[in-house]
Amino acid sequence: MKTSYLFPHRFKAVSGLVFLVSLVLLVVLYTAIGDALQINAKVFALVTDIDVATDNFIFGDIKYFTWVTNSITDEICMLFVLVSGIVFAFSKEKHEDEMVQSIRLNSLAWATIANYSILLLCYLFVYGFPFTNVLMAAMFSQLIIFILLFRYKMYRFYTLQDEE
Amino acid sequence: MKNNLKVQRAIHNLTQQDLAERIGVSRQTINALEAGKYVPSTVLALKLAKLFDKTVNEIFELEPED
Repeated sequence: MKTSYLFPHRFKAVSGLVFLVSLVLLVVLYTAIGDALQINAKVFALVTDIDVATDNFIFGDIKYFTWVTNSITDEICMLFVLVSGIVFAFSKEKHEDEMVQSIRLNSLAWATIANYSILLLCYLFVYGFPFTNVLMAAMFSQLIIFILLFRYKMYRFYTLQDEE
Repeated sequence: MKNNLKVQRAIHNLTQQDLAERIGVSRQTINALEAGKYVPSTVLALKLAKLFDKTVNEIFELEPED
């Protein structure tokens, strides 16, 4: 059976490397050291509460379709994390067959269940400002859980004992 | 579902790798099939039957719990 929705296998190594590097960089950006890595630029905003004149947040003063100044390092990192993550997660294995597809589907289902269980627990037990960290992690948590689970299952699959 | 792939493979004197290459799956998939850990699609079952010149029913068999 042919699958058309997967990326070619040759993208796997490079996207995996980009994913790892950009993910580490993104985590660094979210910590205190990250402030040194800011690149400010004028960006187009669909929705914002940043005041154009002072570049400060004005709570409740929402504007649409405007230009604001903002650090774009986290945007660039997130772009790389999500694009390379999706390509790495959904590129073909070296020997793609129907059992690999069944393992992939199984991993995807379990990753979705695990991700939403964790999110629900966080929603119920994390309050106040730390909850924004939960929301940021939720941007890519399912992708990471899926990749880890699928790689682990593929590792188990590739190391199946030869019974001959 | 149980199968006698291992027997068929022995009759035709094929290794798991040989069989895998002939029907276009990985060696691990053949291994999982023989161990009863994976139920193949209809297409794969028909390919195996064709290769061994048997009907699907002669290779695969339902078990009571299926």
